[in-house]
Amino acid sequence: MIRFDDVSKRYPGGHEALKQVSFELEKGEMAFLTGRSGAGKSTLLKLIMLIEQLNQGQILVGGRNINRLPPRQVPYYRRRIGVVFQDHQLLFDRSVFDNVMLPLQIEGYDKHEAARRVRAALDKVGLLDKEKLNPITISGGEQQRVGIARAVVNRPQILLADEPTGNLDPELAAEIMVLFEQFNQVGVCMLIASHDLSLITRLKHRMLTLDQGRLIKDEHQPSRAAATNHTGQRT
Amino acid sequence: MTPAANSRSSNSKTTLSPGQRFKAWVALHRECAVDALRRLQQQPAGSAMTLAVIAIALLLPALLYVTGKNLSQFDNSLAQANRVTVYLQTDVDASVIDELQQQMAAHDLVSSAHYISPEQAAADFAEWSGLGDVVDSLATNPLPASIVIQASDTRYETAQQLQETFDDAPGVDFVQMDQLWLQRLDSFLSLTQRAVIALIVVLSLAVLFITGNSIRTSIASREAEIRVMNLIGATNGFIARPFLYSGLWYGLLGGALAWILLALLMLVLRGPATELLAYYGNQYQLQGLGTSASAVLLGGSAVLGWLGARLSVSRHLTRF
Repeated sequence: MIRFDDVSKRYPGGHEALKQVSFELEKGEMAFLTGRSGAGKSTLLKLIMLIEQLNQGQILVGGRNINRLPPRQVPYYRRRIGVVFQDHQLLFDRSVFDNVMLPLQIEGYDKHEAARRVRAALDKVGLLDKEKLNPITISGGEQQRVGIARAVVNRPQILLADEPTGNLDPELAAEIMVLFEQFNQVGVCMLIASHDLSLITRLKHRMLTLDQGRLIKDEHQPSRAAATNHTGQRT
Repeated sequence: MTPAANSRSSNSKTTLSPGQRFKAWVALHRECAVDALRRLQQQPAGSAMTLAVIAIALLLPALLYVTGKNLSQFDNSLAQANRVTVYLQTDVDASVIDELQQQMAAHDLVSSAHYISPEQAAADFAEWSGLGDVVDSLATNPLPASIVIQASDTRYETAQQLQETFDDAPGVDFVQMDQLWLQRLDSFLSLTQRAVIALIVVLSLAVLFITGNSIRTSIASREAEIRVMNLIGATNGFIARPFLYSGLWYGLLGGALAWILLALLMLVLRGPATELLAYYGNQYQLQGLGTSASAVLLGGSAVLGWLGARLSVSRHLTRF
């Protein structure tokens, strides 16, 4: 579903964010992307989102080389990918419902059908009763769940998350991860960047570890030992 | 949700019927237009300032246009009185006058030649000036006989040629063209027409830049929203649409405001203008913008607002 071939990214100014990264995620696979801050996790996700352009190598998504995508096609490509941001990126000038509605509006859904899907997505994240509230009035964990509802409302095949639990306490973070696993179970391919090793090693999914832009570890069944080892490196 | 349900539903959105798509598209545009209008209301002070500036910029050419239109009424009606008056010497034989009149009537550039005797002239003068008593009190009639020629067309050159032809004819004292001031009015009118066009061009640019600038500000204030929409796959067209509608509203409302201001101005001027026009006879009336010019004002201003927004959008949305 997502394949990196020898991908390197250098930012203007010379900082080399990714160095010759190669890996492949299968359809319906779930993986964590970990490493210290500055290791290149966000850059990797940004390359998939086409927010940044790579300097070397190629990225295939769904079998297509996304770096050859004409600019006009980029919006349509992005619609197939749901993204959850650390700071959730909700809009505070509209209700929870309207926030989740946004991707469907963009795709030109019929209002009735869109409303049905929005409610389904909000129900999935357990926020159906808060649809009329402004997202600024709800808690951080709830805001993040609204962000997730927005990311999945048009049922993308791929879900990316950049530090989705970064601002949450452990209990809420665990709830969010359970939610992600549920989406994965219905076939969504997931790549979740997180440095919260104590949380993600418990979940027994594939784990890609970045260090200074290099992919130094690709464990399909991360062990407890690895977890303690990495916890020591956390910043 | 099962994987099967997932794939089925992602198919269903690509198989929306054209009718459904069109309905959704119309709904989206209507929503966008209403939303853009609501956003103008949300910042009443800023919007009012922009609208006022647009309205004033549009009012100027409209006002000049109306002035020109009212003046051209005179032009049109006076063009009918396209006359050359040939004054005759006193004590000219009736046969000479007859011959002269026939000669004139036969001329290519003359549509009619009409003899006015000194008595007729005196009577006309008495009636026209209201000085009948004075005329009566004169011992002799000081007015000469004349022949009034109606030229075949309204061109200045025609009248001039007639003057040259008959100036030296036997029995003619002198020839007077009534056209000279008409000529001046004519050139003044074509000057106003050019001024209107120049003003329209210059002030259209002003409207373009005013709207463009307002749209730039609102793009800056909605940066977060634009960024998010961009990330979740909104096309540039989708992101630009609300701003284009804002521009359209600015233009249209500014044009409407200009129209209202002009109508108010006409209302204020109506009294004095009617009084003034009464001196020139009853056929003149103060004219407003009229239907087609109003349509041009409103339509043109809406297009200008949209264009201004378009310019601003293409400059500032690419940053995201």
